[in-house]
Amino acid sequence: VTSLALRVHGATHTGNVREGNEDAHVLDRELGLYAVLDGMGGAMGGDVASAKARDVIHAYVKSKRQAMAPRDLMAAAIGAASAAVFEEAKSRRDRKGMGTTVVACLLVDERRAVIAHVGDSRAYLLREGRLQQLTRDHTIVAELLEKGAISPEDAAHSAYKSVLSRNLGNKPEARPDVVEIALQAGDRLLLCSDGLYGYASGEAVLHLLGGGEGPEQVTRDLIEAALRGGGGDNVTTIVLEVGRAAVPRATQVIRSTGAVSWWARRPLFLQAARDAGLAQSAICAVLSPEEAIEIVAGNLCEAVFHDLEQTTGINVWTYAENLAHGWFDQGGDYEVLRELVDILRGASMAVIADIRAGGDSLAIMLEIAVTRALIVAEVAIGNVLAERLRAIEAELVRATPAIAPPPPPAGTAALASSSTGLAASASGSMPQMSAEGAQQTFVEQRTIPYMQAVRIDPPSPAVARCLEEARARAIAAIGADDRAGRREVADCIERAHRAALAPTGPSDAVLAARELYGVRALEESGMAPLLDALDQARMAHVRAVRELDAGIEEKVTAMRRVSTAHQRMVGAVTALVIESGGPITARLQEATERTAGLRAEVGRNEARLAELERRAAAARAARPQIGAEP
Amino acid sequence: MSTTLADRLAVLRDEVLETVEHGDGEPPGAEVFDAMVRAVASHGETIPGLDLALHDAIARRLAWGDREEAVLASTEAVFQRLLKASQRAFRDPVEEMLVAELAAEVACGAARIVALAAVGRAGRERAARLREELAQRRLKDALAQQREDLARLEKA
Repeated sequence: VTSLALRVHGATHTGNVREGNEDAHVLDRELGLYAVLDGMGGAMGGDVASAKARDVIHAYVKSKRQAMAPRDLMAAAIGAASAAVFEEAKSRRDRKGMGTTVVACLLVDERRAVIAHVGDSRAYLLREGRLQQLTRDHTIVAELLEKGAISPEDAAHSAYKSVLSRNLGNKPEARPDVVEIALQAGDRLLLCSDGLYGYASGEAVLHLLGGGEGPEQVTRDLIEAALRGGGGDNVTTIVLEVGRAAVPRATQVIRSTGAVSWWARRPLFLQAARDAGLAQSAICAVLSPEEAIEIVAGNLCEAVFHDLEQTTGINVWTYAENLAHGWFDQGGDYEVLRELVDILRGASMAVIADIRAGGDSLAIMLEIAVTRALIVAEVAIGNVLAERLRAIEAELVRATPAIAPPPPPAGTAALASSSTGLAASASGSMPQMSAEGAQQTFVEQRTIPYMQAVRIDPPSPAVARCLEEARARAIAAIGADDRAGRREVADCIERAHRAALAPTGPSDAVLAARELYGVRALEESGMAPLLDALDQARMAHVRAVRELDAGIEEKVTAMRRVSTAHQRMVGAVTALVIESGGPITARLQEATERTAGLRAEVGRNEARLAELERRAAAARAARPQIGAEP
Repeated sequence: MSTTLADRLAVLRDEVLETVEHGDGEPPGAEVFDAMVRAVASHGETIPGLDLALHDAIARRLAWGDREEAVLASTEAVFQRLLKASQRAFRDPVEEMLVAELAAEVACGAARIVALAAVGRAGRERAARLREELAQRRLKDALAQQREDLARLEKA
């Protein structure tokens, strides 16, 4: 196993609103222990709770590091911390009710880490440009949401969304969730308190974490993003980087000379936008032509400059969001906005062409960075559109009579978050948590329950060589052209290869499946390309193993590993498909119940009408007829 | 050779499906195991592809009320147990390699069938929801009319 270097940095900030900092953190490189704790209780000693828990966890891990298995060690350390905080709270009346969350990472070795958490402090994993949340918040709303008792919309607006269902200190025992993950070169782990993700968007976190800066800079940028977003809470972040930096030195070049080159061509950008007829866009109707150029094009140029300089997408994101909100508020069409973005894209490309014409080798890197910035703008506009659609849907729901949420279907355990999935599958065995409650949580919220735990030992060097050769052959066999289908097949082979090599068993297959699945329409047209790619990848991969020029024993082992990896990956993808259908089933059930309610009401009214008609007829019959004989 | 191998594979049925634990009932995953035996028996004679018998069997299980998760779970279990059993039972590594390859093919095929069934179900449920919403609209119109009538009659 190649040795992976590790870079770590952590920082904390009081925020813009709070007077004191109730967060605490642990950064012990020697022990490999990193943790973020977020104290609660305000005047009742939130800071005392987090500091106490921090000290107990640190001391416990230090004293038992060699004596206990990592997963058990973390669960026990958190349990000890909970007992200590509980005792402290019990001993002093003014500290009654204090508690703390914790998310802790223990590096088992250079390739494995154990993540344990209680409460709503989170751990994220950035791998190959994708950000994955490794922990599931222990809040009442999150648990209700997972059980299907409330809708995501209700959850987002719930007044109780920050109320924790678990913490350290309210009971002597803790119920930590413990996950073991396999690390790869280039991975980044982020531990943070809710002061970060509550005030900085997921996109901002993704951009900053994946931007190629070192952990020290990323930590600072993340805190700054949270402060810019309001900074309503204490914010603490720890960033761990495994092996090589996620992005090569090109980022540094873009940040320095790239940004400067871009800014130097601002007049050219404005001129290109002017020539393309930006001022004539309906969006600029209320502005004079020069104002339109200066405000619409000039602001984008500046936003791109700042994003290049900071390696983020925040400025362009904000620009596009404001533009879209302003336009949609006026009742504007998406089509017009789309045309405007195309004009701005054209102006950007004019700048890139100018840089390239000057023989500047920077142009290619800059083109990628600017294209990325424009994609960020489009994603932001799409986000605004989606938000508005959600708001309209919520309005429609409010306008219809309220009904009780349907109970979760009997016997259908919620297919839950990725974090639980990793817990179940990465561990190689069922979670061995000390607290009974933790075990129960796992059972209730299992994900991909059929992904049975299988521990796969690392392959021998000879088998590893076979696997490597099979991977290369399989990819060569599917061809080198860059059509999307081919790329997807190659991607599947790569991921299956890694899963076949992984010493911790199914973790990589499950994670790979999640990454491959990405965001897809739950329709045949959305799923078929992925399923086809997986099929082709498996066929090419096993053929390559079969045709290897190696010893038969090694070939058999390689075949077993490759077959298992593909089977698990396809199984996990299928599980995700099933999981995605859950909300659709729930909504249908909701709609059916609502229809039944309406139908019953119509029936009752019908009966009432018949009764009234009957009475009216009787009254008419009893009334003396005009002109009739007395 | 293929037929012999298929026969020897079929012998592992009780072990792989844990038949004893299921008494008289058909053990879960039997259709997957049978498809694996068929795949070994017909290896080299047909083009590998979708096994219609497997498709039918899974569709039947789903139609009888087995959940998609359960079908997938049994597929996974059968695949894992077959790999273990074949490692122990087959002396010829070439045969073992062939079984692993074909078992993966069948297991992946079964997963694909389940995935497409889930996609189909989602589509049907979406359409059913639309129908429910249309019915709700008509019922709401009827309710509005009834309320008017009720008000009129009660006033009279």
